[in-house]
Amino acid sequence: MDKSNNVGLAQAKARSTAKAATVFLLPALLLITIFIVYPVIDTFVISGYKWNGISADRIFVGLDNWKALLKDAMFWKSFQHNLIVMVFSILLQIPIGMLLATFLDAGGKKFNIFKIIWFLPYLMSSVAIAFLFIYALATNGGLISSLATIFNGKRTTIDLLGTAPNALYTVIGVMAWQFTPFYMVYFIAGYGNIDTTIYEAAVIDGATRGQYIRLIAIPLLGPIFKTACTMSLIGSLKYFDMIWNMTQGGPSGSTELMATYMYKLSFQQFNMGYGSCVAAGMFILITAIALLFNKVFKVKEDY
Amino acid sequence: MAQNNNLHGCTMAADINSMEKTNDADYRMSKIKSRIAWTIATIFALIQLVLTLTPFFFMIMNSFRKQFDMLQQGVFHLPDPWYFNNYVEVVTHGFFGYFFRSVVVVAISLVLMLIISAFAAYPLARMRFRLNGLIYAMIVAMMAVPMHVTLIPIFKLTTTVGFYDSLKALIGPYVAFALPMSVFILTAFMKTIPREIEESAEIDGCNRYQNFFMMILPLSKSGLSTLSIYNGVSMWNEFAFANTLLITPSKKTLPLALGQFKGEHSLDIPIIMAVLTLSVLPMITLFIIFQDKLVKGMMAGAVKG
Amino acid sequence: MKKKVFATFLATALTVTSIVGCGGGSTSTTAPASGGDDTAKTEATETTEATDKAESTDAAEKTESTDTADATTEEASDGAKTSDKNIPTLTTEPLTITLWDIATEDPAKSTQESAVQRFMADYPNITVNQVHQQNDNYKQQLVVAMSSGQAPNMYIHWGGGPMAEYYKSGFANDITDMYAKYDHPDFIDAAVAQSTYDGKMLAIPFGGLSGCDIFYNKTIFAEQGIEVPETIDDLEAACAKLKEAGYTPFALANASKWTGSMYYMYLVARHSGNDEFDAAYTQENGGSFTSPAFIYAAEKIQDWVKKGYFPDGVNSLTADDNQDRALLYDGSAAMMLHGSWQVAGIRSDNEEWYNENIGVFRFPEDSEAKANGVPQNVEIGTAIGNGFSFNCFKEDGSVDQDMLDACYVLATQYYNDDTYNQMQMESGNIPSIKGFDAQVDDPNNRVVVDVFFNASNVQLWYDQYLPASVTEVHKNCMTELFGLEKTPEEIGQEQDEAMKKAIAEQ
Repeated sequence: MDKSNNVGLAQAKARSTAKAATVFLLPALLLITIFIVYPVIDTFVISGYKWNGISADRIFVGLDNWKALLKDAMFWKSFQHNLIVMVFSILLQIPIGMLLATFLDAGGKKFNIFKIIWFLPYLMSSVAIAFLFIYALATNGGLISSLATIFNGKRTTIDLLGTAPNALYTVIGVMAWQFTPFYMVYFIAGYGNIDTTIYEAAVIDGATRGQYIRLIAIPLLGPIFKTACTMSLIGSLKYFDMIWNMTQGGPSGSTELMATYMYKLSFQQFNMGYGSCVAAGMFILITAIALLFNKVFKVKEDY
Repeated sequence: MAQNNNLHGCTMAADINSMEKTNDADYRMSKIKSRIAWTIATIFALIQLVLTLTPFFFMIMNSFRKQFDMLQQGVFHLPDPWYFNNYVEVVTHGFFGYFFRSVVVVAISLVLMLIISAFAAYPLARMRFRLNGLIYAMIVAMMAVPMHVTLIPIFKLTTTVGFYDSLKALIGPYVAFALPMSVFILTAFMKTIPREIEESAEIDGCNRYQNFFMMILPLSKSGLSTLSIYNGVSMWNEFAFANTLLITPSKKTLPLALGQFKGEHSLDIPIIMAVLTLSVLPMITLFIIFQDKLVKGMMAGAVKG
Repeated sequence: MKKKVFATFLATALTVTSIVGCGGGSTSTTAPASGGDDTAKTEATETTEATDKAESTDAAEKTESTDTADATTEEASDGAKTSDKNIPTLTTEPLTITLWDIATEDPAKSTQESAVQRFMADYPNITVNQVHQQNDNYKQQLVVAMSSGQAPNMYIHWGGGPMAEYYKSGFANDITDMYAKYDHPDFIDAAVAQSTYDGKMLAIPFGGLSGCDIFYNKTIFAEQGIEVPETIDDLEAACAKLKEAGYTPFALANASKWTGSMYYMYLVARHSGNDEFDAAYTQENGGSFTSPAFIYAAEKIQDWVKKGYFPDGVNSLTADDNQDRALLYDGSAAMMLHGSWQVAGIRSDNEEWYNENIGVFRFPEDSEAKANGVPQNVEIGTAIGNGFSFNCFKEDGSVDQDMLDACYVLATQYYNDDTYNQMQMESGNIPSIKGFDAQVDDPNNRVVVDVFFNASNVQLWYDQYLPASVTEVHKNCMTELFGLEKTPEEIGQEQDEAMKKAIAEQ
């Protein structure tokens, strides 16, 4: 059976590799092309038109939308919000997820109940999360304000969703609440992927659990860690769901993200041409940031 | 992936041993440290427990109330009196139909998605060919696409091929949208599988395809189960595509069931909480059953076997 | 998301939409027999038919005999199938109509489904494919379907800017001639105005009217010895008293923004009638959102915010999740300016509590402006609620008259017929058809309707009336206004800027 392999020239091997790669990649590439690549191209095409989204006539305006986009204060403000969300998401979701996973990995089976309960937020739909947090954070009878009143001894209102800088950070907190459990599970899987013989060997050699985690496991999780950061990064740059249910970009645009801005333009304000331009700009920015991030990270990793 | 080479050597652990266990005082010190660490960790764990459980608990509690009581007594109040009719309402409004259709769509999409993404991740993680880097970058870039830009093209496509208003319509978009991230994650997971395994298999005479099915796929189990969780939950809760592509009530999926209780000016929050509670329960059950798979280290067996 | 529609509406005393006859009097327009109050009905009918319509262009409209009105009562239970009606003859070929509405839940769902079923029973060759879309994403759904050539043949909307957009993009038939030629319910003028764009009739109303009034807790008012305020000064005095007693005077959830806008709109309307808003809308002849009425309204609101008349953190509460109603229910707030659909909402939450505690009064008058001759009966609200537009075109772009006829008959004779209207009344909606005001028995709805029918003009909600891009700015301004983040001048300037830009882009 192995004769052909043995005889094979380097070139033949490369050719068969290319063939195998094609076979393996084909279904995915096909689906991605039909359902994602084509719409993206379409979006770029539409971004060259003035179009309300429904009419049969579109007016070609060349780069006018793009020029407007560069000067659009609202777009850049949304982008800035996205960046803030991104930074805090990575700083909150990944480390906390990591800590929880480490705790569970160290505790083993007896901590299963923790794992199940900690995972609950990720299972809830954005609608439920938005609703419960709107009430939990309400200035009137909400949990936070009630707690503050108890601690303060007098009626205290903490307005977390209704004022400009607070709202964005509050939403970031809720997002962290929702997504941290996923990263927890993700890192548990990462731990699971580490060869158990390594742990056994480390124990035999007298390493404590803490030493094992710190000096062996975490470095081994490097690639997993990097993908987690990339996912969090991209996820927070195109985030839409829960913010839409919770604030719709308010108060006065202080939680407007690129995706909510794009949605309003395209589907509510009859401005599909410009909305597509925002979407295309958003796509370029996210890709650039994601690739840049991966590049920077790769350099470090190899070193 | 330089670290892979260290995987089988225990040199690191040995180093630690010689460095840190030089005398008893240090050892005792580290015991105390470990105890402090555990205490802090437990407190942290309990806080996290409260944070995650509270909203969930109140979602369920509010599903047992009348809207008036909920608004009057406050959302964070136990049901008084308990009111069970919301569930009767929900169940008598075709809940199980919605539920069943969701199960079908999610199950089919998930299986397809797992197979296709594992297929794609394999060459990207473990083969050298010219376009590898480029294809990988393109797939990663597709993660950056906001889903709303695809609504109109996908709607057009769906109506053209005649899938509009049928469950089939959802499978394509669900699989396609889960792919970039899944390929991305699986590639990372597959890269952590030691090369020796494949090489030894090749020596045993496996070709690439056998290799994939016999070795790589089983070894990616933990990555695949993570993906099932991630994508299963998002497909289960997916609203935008379902809402756009399905219009007949007898063909709609679970996230659209909410709409039945939400009018232009009216919103019965407790009933909505009941729907949400009922839709999250199967997810929790599945998680409880399958979470075990996540912690099992599987490499040891593979290498030995 | 409340979609508000609106219309300029001339009171019954003024011109009437004619079609006096037009079977207007025929079955579909008269009030249901439920009350059995014949006198009231007759009176109402007479009023509506008293005057002649000014704008109808078609001479073909028939002069009407009043006797149809009598026939109505007997036929009420019988559905609308009367042979003597002047309606288009429908095709006998098989025909399928796709209809989109947002009636996802009862009672709207059963009311609207029964209209379609009655239609299909009478015309077995016609199939109506009735789709209930979800309100939240409805606009998006329409955009997607229209841009893909899959637009429904008959669809709900709320008038205003979007209706114009659909028409201009070729997705709404101009039914001016049909409306003049054939029978239809005798809609109130405001509803007709709201269904009209650029002089063309584009929609048939079917959702009923919504006013905007102050709901108050009778028990708290009685306990504090407060009378229903007649003037804004009275209202402020009441607020001061309530505040003193530890109540929040107004339950307002302004994260939704259109809720805060109601205060702004009403203060502007009381201070200047419709003049200043109309001028600001065109930005001509010195019209501006910084003109005195707008400054007055904004200053008043900010003054009230400072005095604590609104709940703490008003911008964080949302009406979509009923947080304003919660403030009324738990007894911490005493009043709430809101759309009249709240009557049905509160009643269905707890009828007993509603009967015991909830009263309604119209937004008080500005005595100073009144002294200067500013009309105090310009009201805020919407006259049609929902309207149907028709998208019946052939491949080549010409009108598909067979289908349009069928849609027209469905919308005017089955929606809006007696059975339909009676079901509407039972669920707390008041059809925007003349004569129905007499049928209202809920005392609070009574107030709502009286305010509406006595209005010299009904100003549509700004957030529905203004162009979509200005709406967004207006809504953000409401946040900034109640949050004391910007001055009245600043929010005026912002709205001016957006309005100017929208006008330039037209």
